[in-house]
Amino acid sequence: MGDFLQYTVIGLTVGSFYALVALGYTIVYGIIRLINFAQGDLSMVGAFLGWTLLVSFGFEHLPIYLALVIAFVVPMIGTAVVNLGILQFAYKPLLRRSLLAILITALGMSLLLQNSAELIWGAAIEAYPPNLLPSSGFFVGPVHVTYVQIALVVASLLLMGGLVAFIQGTTIGTAMRALAVDHDAARLMGINVDAVIRIAFVLGAMLAAASGVMLGIYYVQIHFTMGFLLGLRAFTAAVLGGIGNIPGAMAGGMLIGLLEAYTTGYLSGTWEDVVVFGVLITVLIVKPTGLFGERVAERM
Amino acid sequence: MALLEVRDLHVYYGNIEALKGISLSANPGQIVAILGGNGAGKTTTLRTISGLLRPRSGSVMCAGKSLVGVDAHVIVGMGVSHVPEGRRIFNILNVEENLNLGGYLIRAQHQLIKERKAAVFGLFPRLAERRGQLAGTLSGGEQQMLAIGRALMSDPKVLMLDEPSLGLAPMLAKSVLKTVREIADRGAAVLLVEQNARQALAIADHAYVIEVGRIVLEGNAAVLAKDERVQKAYLGGFESVGSA
Amino acid sequence: MIAQLTERPVGRVYATVRDRLGRTPYWSRVVVSLVAIGVAVIFWNDDYVTAVAVSVATYAMLGLGLNIVVGYAGLLDLGYAAFFAIGAYTSALLMTQAHWNFFTTLPFAVLFTGTAGAILGYPTLRLRSDYLAIVTLGFGEMTRITFNNWEYAGGPNGVLGIPWPNFFGYELNTQADFFIVGLFLLAIAMIFAEHLDHSRLGRGWVAIREDEFAAESVGVPSLRLKLFAYVMGGMWGGLAGAFFATRIGAIDPTSFTFQLSVLILIVIVLGGTGSLPGVLLGALVVVALPELLRELSDVRLLVFAILLVGMMLLRPQGLWPRIRRKPKPFYGLQEEEPEDVAARILREHQVQMEERDRRHAAAGHKVPAAGEILLEVDGLVQQFGGLRAVDNVSFSVRRGEIFSIIGPNGGGKTTLFNCITGVQRPKRGRVLFDGRSIVGLRPHVIVSRGIGRTFQGIRLFKNMAVFENVMVGLYPRHRTMTWQAMLHTPGERKDELRTLQESRRWLSFVGLESMAGQLASQLSYADQRRVEIARALAAHPHLVLFDEPAAGMNPTEKLELVGIIRKIRDLGITVVLIEHDMSLVMRVSGRIAVLDHGILIALGKPAEIQNDPAVIEAYLGREDDDMGRLTAQEA
Ligand SMILES: Nc1ncnc2c1ncn2[C@@H]1O[C@H](COP(=O)(O)OP(=O)(O)OP(=O)(O)O)[C@@H](O)[C@H]1O
Ligand SMILES: Nc1ncnc2c1ncn2[C@@H]1O[C@H](COP(=O)(O)OP(=O)(O)OP(=O)(O)O)[C@@H](O)[C@H]1O
Ligand SMILES: [Mg+2]
Ligand SMILES: [Mg+2]
Repeated sequence: MGDFLQYTVIGLTVGSFYALVALGYTIVYGIIRLINFAQGDLSMVGAFLGWTLLVSFGFEHLPIYLALVIAFVVPMIGTAVVNLGILQFAYKPLLRRSLLAILITALGMSLLLQNSAELIWGAAIEAYPPNLLPSSGFFVGPVHVTYVQIALVVASLLLMGGLVAFIQGTTIGTAMRALAVDHDAARLMGINVDAVIRIAFVLGAMLAAASGVMLGIYYVQIHFTMGFLLGLRAFTAAVLGGIGNIPGAMAGGMLIGLLEAYTTGYLSGTWEDVVVFGVLITVLIVKPTGLFGERVAERM
Repeated sequence: MALLEVRDLHVYYGNIEALKGISLSANPGQIVAILGGNGAGKTTTLRTISGLLRPRSGSVMCAGKSLVGVDAHVIVGMGVSHVPEGRRIFNILNVEENLNLGGYLIRAQHQLIKERKAAVFGLFPRLAERRGQLAGTLSGGEQQMLAIGRALMSDPKVLMLDEPSLGLAPMLAKSVLKTVREIADRGAAVLLVEQNARQALAIADHAYVIEVGRIVLEGNAAVLAKDERVQKAYLGGFESVGSA
Repeated sequence: MIAQLTERPVGRVYATVRDRLGRTPYWSRVVVSLVAIGVAVIFWNDDYVTAVAVSVATYAMLGLGLNIVVGYAGLLDLGYAAFFAIGAYTSALLMTQAHWNFFTTLPFAVLFTGTAGAILGYPTLRLRSDYLAIVTLGFGEMTRITFNNWEYAGGPNGVLGIPWPNFFGYELNTQADFFIVGLFLLAIAMIFAEHLDHSRLGRGWVAIREDEFAAESVGVPSLRLKLFAYVMGGMWGGLAGAFFATRIGAIDPTSFTFQLSVLILIVIVLGGTGSLPGVLLGALVVVALPELLRELSDVRLLVFAILLVGMMLLRPQGLWPRIRRKPKPFYGLQEEEPEDVAARILREHQVQMEERDRRHAAAGHKVPAAGEILLEVDGLVQQFGGLRAVDNVSFSVRRGEIFSIIGPNGGGKTTLFNCITGVQRPKRGRVLFDGRSIVGLRPHVIVSRGIGRTFQGIRLFKNMAVFENVMVGLYPRHRTMTWQAMLHTPGERKDELRTLQESRRWLSFVGLESMAGQLASQLSYADQRRVEIARALAAHPHLVLFDEPAAGMNPTEKLELVGIIRKIRDLGITVVLIEHDMSLVMRVSGRIAVLDHGILIALGKPAEIQNDPAVIEAYLGREDDDMGRLTAQEA
C-alpha cells in the first residue's frame, strides 16, 4: 500500500509533465489536424534553454525566485519563437496542400531540432543545478513527498488552468475550435485564421518549454534525445484522453504517468511501453474516441 | 457611387471562366436579388465579393474601398457579411458558440453581443430552445436558421445571403424573407441569391439575372417579375406543366 | 513557318509514342523497366552498388506494401515495421530452428503477418485515422519489445546464422542473386497494386478516404475494405521481412524500430503518396541519400532532415506524384441513342428486380406485389437526451408509390430516414422492408437489401469525378472476386466496363452525361443533388429515400426533377420523398405524411393534407399563394 501511494506520487508528477506536452499536441491537432511530432523536441529545446540560463549564464546564483522566473519565462518565449519559425517556414506553405506532407515535415522538424540541439549543446548529458529547489520533503504516512514535486505539480496545474480558461472561456478559444471544422467559414466570421493558428503554436510551445524546464529540475539530467520519449508519451496521452479535447489531454497525461510509475514499480521498466500501449489500445477499442471523447457531430 | 459596386468581374476556376464580366451595385436600404439557373455563377459572385475567391480582373468596391485582394476576415470587418451556400456552420460547437463567433469582431462588447443574440433568438425561437445543442446535430432547417443568425450577429452594412430559404419550411421561409426586408429597411444593403424567385422578387428592389457567368437582364424587381423571359425561366415552372 | 512544319511531325510522333506506351498493358511496362534497371545494375558489376540496390529494393517492397495501407486505403500506419519484424522472425526461426528451406517458410511468414494484421485491424480499424496512427505505433513498439524480451527468439541478440536460400539446389548467396529475387518480387507487387488501384476496390478506397460515412451509406463495406488493405499491406511487409532476414543473415530487434516505420512512410510520401513509380524513387532517395551524406558524418542527420523538409516543401505532392489523369469517362464505350438508354435502363432494372425478387422468394420470403406493403414502420421512437425526435411513428409505404414526408423544420423527417437506413439505431420500434426487419443492420447491408438514399446536406465524394461517384454507387452489384481484380482478369474487365456503361446510363437518366468527367466539387449545388440521385439509383434499389432533392433548384429545374421522379417510379422503384416545396410535393405524391415534433399528425392523399387544419396550422400557413394557384389549376 505504501509502495502504491509512493508510485502514485511519482506518477502524478511525471504525468503532469506529459499532460503539458499533450496539451500542445491537442491544441495544434484541434486546429489543423496535424500530429506535430516536433512537440516533444520543443520541450527538449526549452530544457536546454533553461539549462543555458541557469548553468552557463550562472543565473542559478540569483535569488531563487528570480532565477526560477527567468528559467521558465525566457525558454518559454524562446521556444515559442522557434515554433513560430517552424510554422511559418515548414508548415504554412503546406497547410492546404497535403496532411501527409505536413506530417512528414513534422517528423523532419523533430529530427532537425534534435540534431541542431546536438550541434549547439553537444551530445553529452547535461545537468541542471541539483539543489536549485530544496530537495527535502515530508512524509504523509509512509509516503515521501518532496517540495519539488509539489511545486512542479502545482505549477503545471496553474499553467493548465490558465490554458483551459483561455480556450473554454474566450471567443478566441472558441475560434480555435472552429478552425478545426472549416477555415473558410471561420474567415467569414472575421477570424484571422493565420493569427489564430499562430496563437495555438505559441501556446503549444510555451507549455512544452515549461514541461522541459520542469523535467530538468526534476530529473536533473537532460539530453538532446529526451524529446522523443516525452513526445511519444504525450501523444499517447492526448489520444487516450480524446485528441482535440483539452481536459482529456490533461487526464490522459496523468493516467500515462501513473501507468508508467506502476509498471516500473511492480513489473520492470522494459515493459513500460507494452503496458502503456496495451491500455491505450484497449481503451480505444472500447471507446473509439478516447476517454473523454472528441466532440463529433455530423449530420446527413 | 453605390455602397457596394462590382465592376466587370472575371473569375476563373483553373482555366474555366466562371464569371465573364459581372457588374452590379447595391445601395443602403436596398435588396438586390440575383437570379439564375444552376451553375450560372451566383455563388461564385458572392464568394468573390467576400474575398474567398480572387478575381482575375475587375473591381469590387465597398464604401469607396477596394475589396479585391483583401483577406476575407478583413472584409468582414468592413461590414460585409456572407451567409454561404451549404450553411457551413461549425458543427462541433454548440448553437450559442456559433452565434458568439458571428460576433467575433465585437467580442469585447459583451452587452452588444447579448443584445444581438437576443434578437436572433427572437427571430428563431427554435435556436433559443437549442442553445446548448451541438450545431452538427441540428436539423437541416435549424442549421439554416443558425447560419443566418450567425451572419446577423455582426450587424453588417452589406449582407449577402446565398439561398437563405433553402431547407426552410414554407412558413419560416416567408418570415425569413420578411426579416431580410426589415434588415434592409434598417439601412443595410442586401444581396439576395434565391431560387425562390417569386418571393425574392416580391421583396427585392432591384434584380439581376445571371446566365453562364454573364448578366443577361437587370432592372427593377417589380418590372422583372412581369418580364416574360423571367417568368418563363424562373417563375414558370409548374404552371407551364399545367397548361401543357 | 518551316520550324512549325518540322516541329509538327516530331510532336505528333512523340504524342503517338506516348499514347502507344500508355496503351500497352501495365505489366509489360513494369517488366521492361525493372529488367532494364536489373541489367544496368548487374552490368555495373560493383558490389557496393549492388548492395545498395538490394537495400533500395527492400525499402521499395516495404513501401509498396505500406502504400496500399496509407496511399490507397488512407489508413495512417506508424508501426509498419512490426509486419516486417514478424515476417523476418517467422522465416528466420523456421530456417534456423526447424531447418526449413527459405521458400517453404514464405507462406508462413505471410500467413503470420496477415493474421497479426487481422487481429489488430479488426477491432481498431473502426477508429479514425489519427487514432489509428498511435495504435499502429503502439503495435510496432510492442512487437519490437516482445521480441526483445523473448528468449526463444534470442532476446536482444536476435537470430543469428540464418542460412542462404536454396532454390532447387542453387544457393542464392550473392548480392546480385538477391537483387534479381528482389526485382521479381517488386514486379509482382507493382502489378498487383496497380490492378487493385484501378478496380472497384481502388474506387471503394478512394470513396472511404473522401467520406467514409457516405461510402458506407451507398453500399461500400468500409470496414471490410480497410481490413483487406491493412492485411494485404501487412502480408507484403512480412514477405519483405523474410527476404531481409535471409539476405542479412542475422536479425535483432533494433532492425525494426519506430524509425524504420517512419522511414518507410517517408519513402511513400516523398515519392508521392499512392504513386507506384514514386515508391521506387522514394526508396532510392531514402537509401541513397544517407549513403551520399556519409562524408558529412557529424551533421549527416541534420542535413538529411533539412533536405527532407526542403523536398516536402518544394514538392508536397511527392517527387513522382500520382497523376490523376483527367478522367476520360466513357472513352471507348459504345455510343448509345437516348431512347436506347432509357430502354436499357428499364430492361436492366427489370432484370435486376426480378432476380432479387426471385432470390427473395427462394429464401422463403414473401415478395410484395405492386400496391402491397414494401416498407413498414411501426411504433418507431428515436430520442436524443430529453428530446423525442421521432415519437411513436407508424406508417407503411406500398410498392410502386411516391410517398412524401413533410413537416416543419426539426419535425423528425431526416431522423426517420436515418433510422430506416441504419445510420442510427432507433430507440424503439420496428422497420420492416420486404417483410424482414432491418433494424440494427449496417448501412451497407441495408443498401444491398435494396434501399438507396440521398442526403439533405449533399455528401458526394468531392474529389472523384461525377461518373466515379455513380460507379461507387454500383459497388454492391459487382460480382467479381478480389483475386480477379488483382489479376485484372477478362471477367473483371468486363464487369468494370459494364459498371462504366451503367453509370453513364444513370447519368443520362438524370441529365448530367455532359458533366461526367468533372470533379463532383466543381458542380453547382443543384447539379450535385442530381448526381446524388444517380448514385442512389445505381444499385438498382427497390426503394429510394430522397431528402429534399429539390433544395437549391429553381422552378424550371424542379419541374425537370418532377419528371425524373416520375420516371423513377415508372421503373418500378418506390420513392419516399422529404421536401419543403409544396407545389412539387402536391404534384408528385400519391400519399403524404406530416411529421411535427416527431409525431405523425396527418397521413393521406394530397388534397386531404392540403385542407387538414392541423397541417395548415403546423406547417403550411394560411395564405400560400403558390399553393392556391395550384389547387385552382388542378381543380
Ligand atoms: N470549385 C470549383 N471548381 C471548378 N469549377 C467550379 C467550382 N465551383 C463552381 N464551379 C463551376 O462554376 C460555375 C458557377 O458555379 P456557381 O456555384 O457559382 O453556380 P450557382 O449559380 O451558385 O449555381 P446553384 O444555383 O446551383 O448554386 C459552375 O459551372 C460550376 O460548375
Ligand atoms: N444527435 C442529436 N442530438 C440532439 N438532437 C438531435 C440530434 N439529431 C437530431 N436532433 C434534433 O431532432 C429534431 C429532428 O431532427 P431532423 O433532422 O429529423 O428534422 P427534419 O424533420 O429533417 O428537419 P428539417 O426539415 O429542418 O431538415 C431536431 O430538432 C434536431 O435538432
Ligand atoms: Mg450556388
Ligand atoms: Mg431534414
